[in-house]
Amino acid sequence: MFSSLFVFRGRASPMLEFAVSVAAAVLVIALWELAARAGIIAPQFLPSPSRVVIALWTMLTEQNLAWHVAVSTTRVWIAFLLAAVMAIPIGIMMSSYRIVGAALEPMIDFIRYLPVPALVPLSIIWFGVGEETKIFLLWLGTFFQLVLLVADDMRRVPQEFVEVARTVGANSRQVMIDIALRWMGPTLLDNLRITLGWCWTYLIIAEIVAADSGIGYVIWTARRFVKTPEVMAGVVVIGLIGLVTDQLLRLLHRRLFRYL
Amino acid sequence: MTGYVQFVDTAKSFGPVDVVGRTSLGLDRNSLVVFLGPSGCGKTTLMRMVGGLDEPSSGSILLGGEKVVRPDRRRGMVFQSYSSFPWLTVKNNIAFGMRYRKDLGATERAERISHYLKLFGLADFADSYPNRISGGMRQRVAIARTLAAGSDVLLMDEPFGALDALTRERLQVELRQIQTREEKTIIFVTHDVEEAVFLADRIILFSRRPASIVADIDVATELGSDRPLEIRETQKFFELRNKVLHLIRNETGLVV
Repeated sequence: MFSSLFVFRGRASPMLEFAVSVAAAVLVIALWELAARAGIIAPQFLPSPSRVVIALWTMLTEQNLAWHVAVSTTRVWIAFLLAAVMAIPIGIMMSSYRIVGAALEPMIDFIRYLPVPALVPLSIIWFGVGEETKIFLLWLGTFFQLVLLVADDMRRVPQEFVEVARTVGANSRQVMIDIALRWMGPTLLDNLRITLGWCWTYLIIAEIVAADSGIGYVIWTARRFVKTPEVMAGVVVIGLIGLVTDQLLRLLHRRLFRYL
Repeated sequence: MTGYVQFVDTAKSFGPVDVVGRTSLGLDRNSLVVFLGPSGCGKTTLMRMVGGLDEPSSGSILLGGEKVVRPDRRRGMVFQSYSSFPWLTVKNNIAFGMRYRKDLGATERAERISHYLKLFGLADFADSYPNRISGGMRQRVAIARTLAAGSDVLLMDEPFGALDALTRERLQVELRQIQTREEKTIIFVTHDVEEAVFLADRIILFSRRPASIVADIDVATELGSDRPLEIRETQKFFELRNKVLHLIRNETGLVV
């Protein structure tokens, strides 16, 4: 019976796949718990999962974690939406009009490779230590990546579709709206989903810059007092938010693009 | 030089590469002309210029005596792949042909859609998306869309190239019937000799790049305009096919 599970590129029932996913996660957590309890690794380095859960509960009930989560989520979404609103039209223009592409692409390619942490000092000089700096850093990590992805998507619109539309009488604007944007829809939403994930990865960097709120701040403060369970709880919260957001966006994708 | 579609000393080069040599040719209205030639010989470019999708480097193309300058719905394209829009249902793909026509009312649109759905046997799939129907169906949708747009010249770029042999045969028969019934002028590009002989009223055989005409074969006189599937098994068809094959081997030095 087990031999059928190890067929190269074979199939498994959804139930089985789900069971295996859960079992694997439980196994990892159980091993971790055992390792911590047995004292193999000192608790300030690797606290047991149960202690992390307790820390998480305390943070939620006594330390206003929900508010910090809300603050962080707001920052991420403002920066992300700002990046998206700018990147989508600019990316489309870059691929549609050669001069726009020629003007912007080398610059964007250059900036894209700059590490966000390296720009923290500059960001503080420009925007101080308030919200602007945090939004700017998150935006920085998202916009330049997204704009190139959008430009790529636009380039990949099949020429056949464009030409069919033109031979039934569509003008440039109609080709853009009725063909290019429609075709891009699914990949655009995928790219937005992926860059939103990147935005969260920059959150810690943005929030350790003189912040007094947000998950990054919570993690960073806990670190200073070597409250490792709280550090881990903070990280877990980010992971959970990512997981939920991702699933919601995937659901939206399935709903919007039923024809795929 | 007479004809509905006229090439007048038409030539095309992309940068330093000559793709189409000076070509003069007139095509009759309501006929099915096959452009046959080796892959990459420039026959597709010649056809695209009729569509206004490429511009001749010299010379010109006339449609009903009027110079072709840009694409419009009088000449519709049917491609081999990406022929139907995946985000539109079969019905809406056909309707897309009329999307930019302001002269049609809602009832007329609906009538034309149901006419072409029926004509192509697509009525049962009207609300399906293209990924749910077969490759042959998708090509039918593309042809229906072009007809719905009101094109009277169909430009077909190896439209059946990706289909299996049986589906391909069926679509060839259907295309012949529809061409006769709807009275359309069709330019059909292929490198398949059997397909060319079966479909064509006239075959224009092209050389290797830069494309120039090496033979102009009148198929209609030989085979008539009615083309049942069985015609493929007749002596006449066989001889014609062999003649074209020999011409290709001799004139182009190539087996296509």
